Amino acid sequence: MNSSARTLLARTGQYALALLLAVYSAFPIYYMIICSFREPAVFYTSRALLPTSFTLEYYRTLIRRTDFLLQFWNSIIVASATVIVTLVVSITMAYAISRFKIRGKKAIIGTMLYAYMFPPLLLAIPLTSIFAVLNLVDTLPSLVVAHFTMTLPLAVWFLWGFLKAMPFELEEAAMVDGCSRLGAFVRVILPLSLPGLATVAIFSFLLSWTDYTFGLVLLSSDGSKTLPVGLASLLAGIDMRWGEVMAGATLIVIPLFLMFAFCSRYFVAGMAAGAVKG
Amino acid sequence: MKPDATVRIFLLFGIAVTAVLIILPAIQAIVLSFQSVNSFVVAGEWAGLANYRRILGMPEFWRDLWTGTCYAVCTVALQVVLGIGSALILHAPIRGQALFRAIAILPYILPTVVVAISFQWMLDGNVGIVTHWLKALGISNFVWSDSSFAAFATVVGVSVWMWTPFVTICVLASLQTIPDELYAAARVDGAGPFQSFRHVTLPGIRDVLVVVVLLRGIWMFNKFDVIWLMTQGGPLGGTEHLPVLSYHMAFRLYDIGGGAAVATLSLILLTVALVVFFRRFPIET
Repeated sequence: MNSSARTLLARTGQYALALLLAVYSAFPIYYMIICSFREPAVFYTSRALLPTSFTLEYYRTLIRRTDFLLQFWNSIIVASATVIVTLVVSITMAYAISRFKIRGKKAIIGTMLYAYMFPPLLLAIPLTSIFAVLNLVDTLPSLVVAHFTMTLPLAVWFLWGFLKAMPFELEEAAMVDGCSRLGAFVRVILPLSLPGLATVAIFSFLLSWTDYTFGLVLLSSDGSKTLPVGLASLLAGIDMRWGEVMAGATLIVIPLFLMFAFCSRYFVAGMAAGAVKG
Repeated sequence: MKPDATVRIFLLFGIAVTAVLIILPAIQAIVLSFQSVNSFVVAGEWAGLANYRRILGMPEFWRDLWTGTCYAVCTVALQVVLGIGSALILHAPIRGQALFRAIAILPYILPTVVVAISFQWMLDGNVGIVTHWLKALGISNFVWSDSSFAAFATVVGVSVWMWTPFVTICVLASLQTIPDELYAAARVDGAGPFQSFRHVTLPGIRDVLVVVVLLRGIWMFNKFDVIWLMTQGGPLGGTEHLPVLSYHMAFRLYDIGGGAAVATLSLILLTVALVVFFRRFPIET
């Protein structure tokens, strides 16, 4: 009896702690989302922790009065381009260094790891001066390049580990069967690398979608800003209104929640392998 | 295997892209740090070590180095403690475990802007819900951005909330590699929960912790966005660290050489820390 009472107590404690952790982790975002739907009349006075009223007014104002939709589109373009470029360059490079005897392999991997820990301003300052000379400041391609400098080292490092673990006989067998090296790469290696590529795609998207620093440095006009930069300038504006800011913040995280709900497996795999920087 | 033509093309392409987009800009930053430049479009003049001499003579530099070190140490220590705690909670066999784990990771995937907005809203001195709760507890007139210490503590708290899940996930993954037999053996030997944590769990996650502390330490030392968004380094420089100083010099004062010199000094400090760290904890291959 005594021991079963103790077990019960321990079980209850486990659930209580798990619940506490969940509330701690989710509350700030939950509260932000319910506030974004709260009626203007009670917006600044209500202390309720549950949704009490519902309005889409802030969302409407945000979309009509600001460049939010354009900035949403900019973010999608930049994040998609970053993902594609990262995938193409990282998988080919990781394939070459993981499966062949190459001189300077250690130097390449070492450089990637080192670039992984560069202070952001170490790249932001020279990139701005380079893009200024090329007349590319305040354009989306400049931001794609900046994001790529963050995603490539992580992607190569992650895929290097991923491809190393794959048996070598696979593409040899395909080549004995008459495939060229490129054919073996496309038909054998790429399909088998899909889980690794999914992880790389997810964290590249995440880094690009959430980046504030490079966007702040490289983008200046409202029409070319990405969401985080646009929202931050809304927050700093003189006519700043919390309701619209909350609505905008909610809309930024929705794609992330969707992605996370469907792909959390790849995400956790990438995080545990050090592929996600933050 | 020996590389053939296709593989060589893959490799050369990757190296060329890395060299042009990552290595060249880093070298350019170092070159800029030796120049006197006050515009992003006009070429600067060679200034030798003038920028470095100036920066090392600035009290702000030393203050920001200290603040940044404190920020990195405090945030990493708290993240490790809370991360291990969270991992133990999520490791216990409970119903709905997958959901609890997903919720616990959530803060990590959020954009920093969203986190900064959400906390600023909750902590707002007039209408924030936390301010309201504090009033109910009898603490009124608390404005987090008023004093250096409160602002620093707030930025640390927000950073810990946001980046702890990285530690949680890594520790959780390594907890799953500790065989149950070890715990059973410890129990047979009469170990209580605390002793089995001390003698079974901690040694089991040690290697992961070493890497996690290194990565988190470097990233927290480099973190720019959360501090810039919450305080811009204020009040009166109370939360200013090297990334903010570097940004401020290069993009606000257009002292581009100075900003680049601060970034280069940060890199040198990180490199030294990295070398010392790997001497102390060599990676086994």
